[in-house]
Amino acid sequence: MKNIKEKELKGIYALVIGLFLVFLLVPILLLLGKSFECEGGLGLSHYVDVLTGKGFLAAFGRSLWIASVSAVLTTFLAFILAYTIHYTNVPKGFKKFIRLAAVVPMLLPTITYGFAIIYSFGKQGLLTRLFGRQLFDIYGMNGLLIGYVIYTLPISFMLLSNTMSFIDKKFMIVSRIMGDKPLTTFFGTVIRPLAGTLAASFVQCFFLCFTDFGIPASVGGRYEVAAAVLYNEMLGSVPDFHRGAVVAMCMLIPSVLSIALLRYLEKYNIRYSRISEIERKKGPARDFCFGLLSGTILTGVLCIFAVLFIVPVVQEWPYQMHLTFRHISSVFADSRLVEVYKNSILVAVLTAFLGTLTVYGAALASARSRLPEAWKAVIDAIALVTNTIPGMVIGIAFLFAFSGTPLQNTFLIIIICNVVHFFSTPYLMMKGALSKMNASWETTARLMGDTWFRTIACVVTPNAMSTLLEVFSYYFVNAMVTVSAVIFIAGARTMVITTKIKELQYYTKFNEIFVLSLLILATNLAAKALFGYLASCRERKNKEQK
Amino acid sequence: MKNRKRITTLGLAALLMMSAAAAAGCSGADKQVVIYSNADDEAVEAMKHALDGNGYEGKYLIQTFGTSELGGKLLAEGTNIEADLVTMSSFYLESAQEQNQMFQDLTFDAKPLEAYPAYYSPITKQEGAIIVNTEMMKEHNLTMPSCIKDLAKPEYANLISVTDIKSSSTAWLLMQAIVSEYGEDGAKEVLSGIYKNAGPHIESSGSAPLKKVRAGEVAAGFGLRHQAVADQAAGLPIDFVDPAEGNFSLTESVAVIDKGDKTSSQAMGMAECIIKYGRSELQQTYPLPIYEGETDDAANKSAYPKVFPEKLTVDLLKKHQELSESCK
Repeated sequence: MKNIKEKELKGIYALVIGLFLVFLLVPILLLLGKSFECEGGLGLSHYVDVLTGKGFLAAFGRSLWIASVSAVLTTFLAFILAYTIHYTNVPKGFKKFIRLAAVVPMLLPTITYGFAIIYSFGKQGLLTRLFGRQLFDIYGMNGLLIGYVIYTLPISFMLLSNTMSFIDKKFMIVSRIMGDKPLTTFFGTVIRPLAGTLAASFVQCFFLCFTDFGIPASVGGRYEVAAAVLYNEMLGSVPDFHRGAVVAMCMLIPSVLSIALLRYLEKYNIRYSRISEIERKKGPARDFCFGLLSGTILTGVLCIFAVLFIVPVVQEWPYQMHLTFRHISSVFADSRLVEVYKNSILVAVLTAFLGTLTVYGAALASARSRLPEAWKAVIDAIALVTNTIPGMVIGIAFLFAFSGTPLQNTFLIIIICNVVHFFSTPYLMMKGALSKMNASWETTARLMGDTWFRTIACVVTPNAMSTLLEVFSYYFVNAMVTVSAVIFIAGARTMVITTKIKELQYYTKFNEIFVLSLLILATNLAAKALFGYLASCRERKNKEQK
Repeated sequence: MKNRKRITTLGLAALLMMSAAAAAGCSGADKQVVIYSNADDEAVEAMKHALDGNGYEGKYLIQTFGTSELGGKLLAEGTNIEADLVTMSSFYLESAQEQNQMFQDLTFDAKPLEAYPAYYSPITKQEGAIIVNTEMMKEHNLTMPSCIKDLAKPEYANLISVTDIKSSSTAWLLMQAIVSEYGEDGAKEVLSGIYKNAGPHIESSGSAPLKKVRAGEVAAGFGLRHQAVADQAAGLPIDFVDPAEGNFSLTESVAVIDKGDKTSSQAMGMAECIIKYGRSELQQTYPLPIYEGETDDAANKSAYPKVFPEKLTVDLLKKHQELSESCK
């Protein structure tokens, strides 16, 4: 077996690595290098400055703590949602609702979250008014926790639900027939195959929270986190890229630990030769409990976003409550909006194409090849690093690296930036899906004389199609909502809709921000519906072929 | 099977062409002058009207950014920046010039009332003021503040919002006022009290306190005076107080990027046009006079306009930041 050369996979591997070398490693090193630049050469004086400065280490510790708490909480909630879909007999329609509602927060720009929380739970917020009193203080730990959980729930849910669909549920029957206690069955046939994904979900959520700046900026209060320190150093009223680079460098440290953790958990990934649908055991109590839990979680999430629909259509929340469409019409009266919207769609579609290709290539190379383990580890490391670098840092790094090159102010640079920035989650999804498929397909096909490309096209791709579509839609949706990196590399002619929101935020035009957020939401829902339709078409076709 | 391959190939080809088109689309030959600005939309509108009314319609593209994003771009990109012309907080322009030597000297003299460096000319001057939510004041039985020091009183605990000078230059207006009135030690005392009262409402964005006041999250805050004037005019329960310590001001200015041979031939003309023809409309929102011959509208005039005794530099800002940090 050793003499199989896997030329194609090596080629793909080289392409993927090349992409990240030029568009991740070089720009980031250029930026991080600034942390060592001192007056008259290289040195550690900026490190001494930052680390001995007031507050940084404390903020760093707070960040680690709250990101961990949020990640555990999110993963737990997402597990309940995914479990309800894959392991209970709640009505089909309800399952559809869970699938959709769980990812709604992802379809909105994060800029919107903090303000949605303030307008919901604040002193004059919608929910505060409904309940007649403020439920809890939103500034600080509480606000951050709510913001982070809502922000990361979709990702965690997608990862868990995706892996659950690749678990062979027949093993539950086997386990039960063998006389296992229910709890043993649960741990052996649900949790254990999920262990890798649960850890991946934790790590993903952790870093999303750890690096996000938008939520702490609006509801962080005096609970200063590392991302806020980073923002102040990089873009405060006296920007200092040197000190900022030190903070960014420190924020990379946790990623090293997480790489080790994920590699350790890798061995818990289990491959099933086939995934069989089984008749689920009847359990009305179980269905009711999980249905209720899921319903409560999602109602909570949707409640917070309800203000989005209300604030823009009243004159001035909360003091002038009469209905008006002035805010909506004023947004659509802006002639540049159509142009900016078209730019957004173009960027999102191309990001999705290029991103899906990149992710598929990378996942094939790491999950379905005999490339040396060390090579594969490089891709895993890339995935984690892209996850751990705050968007702001990527954006500024791109600024330094590509100013003055022909790439400056093109759509291409925005697209590549998005592909790199959002690589992590889709890669984990794709890798999870590919590694769960039977490992011997390529070998069998090769023995039967098929080329590698033919095997990929005819066997692997059709089986991976639903995940591919999900990856495509993940990239599309994220390209639509992202702002942190793009704001630095979008030029006057390449503006997208989120940078427009950022402008409005600067003008404190919240009504308009909410209107544009809804426009993005509508676009993303339409896209989701389309991808969902395509996926169901495929499934039907697959069934017919069988 | 062949069909699928063909479709895939076609799809890939189309994708490549689209990417190429996307990449090429922006290097298009149209020589529109690109203007980057951190100005508010009233100011942007005024500049557009001035340019459109004086032969520049369709010859420029204006793009606005938040102060920090534009500041980051100026410092990081230097003369590689896409813009030919920028309008930006003056002290930012000064540090960008110091670091990158990126602006041309202006070729026109607009006769400002005060002396400014040769490479920029102010378009607006903005003042700080105390902003209150009248409903919240009533609800919490608060007495109207008359000076910034009042905001440090215990009755305002958790009911005020201010900006952090570490991330926003609006806070500098407050710092200048208390430092010039009470000296550095006195300022520390006042600021410590204010930070204690503001608690979770120490904001990073200059417009955030007004936002919080508007949303009824707090009763009072410190922000930009003209924004409060506009809110009050729009019928919101907002009022403003000119603090007895003084209404200090910051300017935003226009500057032309020095791109050597590639410097846009029209940029300088546009800069002049904005000052020459834009100021009258700009003054409707930002009433403070900057140039000779400009009127000083009494109705929109703040009560205690003052200028900080030292020159406003990035070094002074850093000094005030350290002072502020020690009060947290």
